[in-house]
Amino acid sequence: MTDATTTEISIRPERVRVWDIWVRLFHWLLVASITIVAVTGFLFDASWIALHIVAGLSAVALVVARVIWGFLGPTHARFANFLRRPAVVLSHLTGKESGRYLGHNPAGGVMMLGLMGIVLMLGVTGLAGLGGVLRTGPLLSLPYPVGAAGLEIHEALAVLLLVMILAHIAAAIFESRRSRENLVRSMLSGTKESRPGDHTGHPERARPFIALFLILGLAVTATLLLPNGGRAPVGAPVAELDASFDDECSACHLAYHPSLLTGSEWRALMAGLEDHYGEDASLDPETTARITDWLVAHDAATVQTRPARMFAGTLGTSAVSMTDSRVWNHLHEDVREEIFLRAPVYSKSNCSACHGDAETGWFSPFHIQIPKEPSK
Amino acid sequence: MKYLLILPLCLLAAPLAAQSTTPSDLIANYTAEAGVAASAERGQALFTASHTGGKPDTPSCTTCHGADPRAAGLARTGKPIEPLAPLANPERLTDLKFVEKWFGRNCNSVLGRDCTSAEKADVIAWLSSL
Repeated sequence: MTDATTTEISIRPERVRVWDIWVRLFHWLLVASITIVAVTGFLFDASWIALHIVAGLSAVALVVARVIWGFLGPTHARFANFLRRPAVVLSHLTGKESGRYLGHNPAGGVMMLGLMGIVLMLGVTGLAGLGGVLRTGPLLSLPYPVGAAGLEIHEALAVLLLVMILAHIAAAIFESRRSRENLVRSMLSGTKESRPGDHTGHPERARPFIALFLILGLAVTATLLLPNGGRAPVGAPVAELDASFDDECSACHLAYHPSLLTGSEWRALMAGLEDHYGEDASLDPETTARITDWLVAHDAATVQTRPARMFAGTLGTSAVSMTDSRVWNHLHEDVREEIFLRAPVYSKSNCSACHGDAETGWFSPFHIQIPKEPSK
Repeated sequence: MKYLLILPLCLLAAPLAAQSTTPSDLIANYTAEAGVAASAERGQALFTASHTGGKPDTPSCTTCHGADPRAAGLARTGKPIEPLAPLANPERLTDLKFVEKWFGRNCNSVLGRDCTSAEKADVIAWLSSL
């Protein structure tokens, strides 16, 4: 395989440092964090969201640090070394220009910029979804539709990123064969074989202390800005439950939060307590009126939560109970049927068996814990 | 200032309101209404039998309360129900409004009608005999 090289250069070829330690650490830590974020995002259920966010924010932090290093790092770390005019990229891709680039080649440079850009956009859209839809994080009061749109874009970008990663891997293999060198090993060792006629680019000295200062400054700013500091989001479900509602409804079941249904659904439900999901749950007229008024006053229209957006209106149309609805079944399709029937859940209506915050109306994925089956 | 005296009186009355009755008072009252002596055996039979007049999901009292009133039951929603027998749960059968509310609901769910005073006296007699 290396015949051509050995005849050309009789002595052992000189190896030069191309990828400094920070570029290599960045690359492989990004591989790790993107792997975690992709597996938790594409394959695992909602209860993995905390790990998904940690890995995703790590990827964003890595890219931000890499951008700074792109201006202050050594020669091949710099954007100036691998971002080239479109005409150069085109002539490289069409094969008109065939010299070997020691750092990223012009097409690779475009890919680097694209990958970094997509990771940053995934971070922004993810935080938008976290804020608008789950109403937490730095953007916790974003209007719900903005958050929902953010999540749609987030999903599309995630697929795009996967495709780009596959292209990146394919290109690394293709380029390794074409130039008869192991580019993956170079990303581990940091060195490449020096060959005559290589495009090396303008040598640059790294400025590690300025870079470190900037990265630390950004890290401190982010840790100060990112947590929501206990601020209450706009459109939160009512936190204080009416005493009658709580007493009467929770006598038989979880006191389903008023924000889960529309006012008209609550009215219909409260008007039919004599036959309430197969049982007589009638109340005296004053209590019924009081609870109905309170439910309607805090119904789904008054909040901007995900359960409100998903479940409100389901009773009015096709479903008799929320657990019959298409959306409920879609959300719970990963949960085995017998989990619902056995101890300690017993019933699909027993939300709080797995959703620690069910009573609050939030149903946050951060608070899902499917109980272990009891040992026999 | 006189009104301030009302407050401690209310506080004194509060436990009485919560504990408005006792199992034996309930049996006495329902028996008086019915005009028949209460029977724990008849109460047990009513409680444990399967009925057809009520709602299909709740054919028997035991559907949710379980066969042993000294043990906790389980509502169809997965929520535990405290034991019915006063010996296992001293709060039971001490609040007339509560007793009436649940007889009203559950007799309708299981039997499809209100329970008679005699039936209530029977069931309470059985529960308090355990």
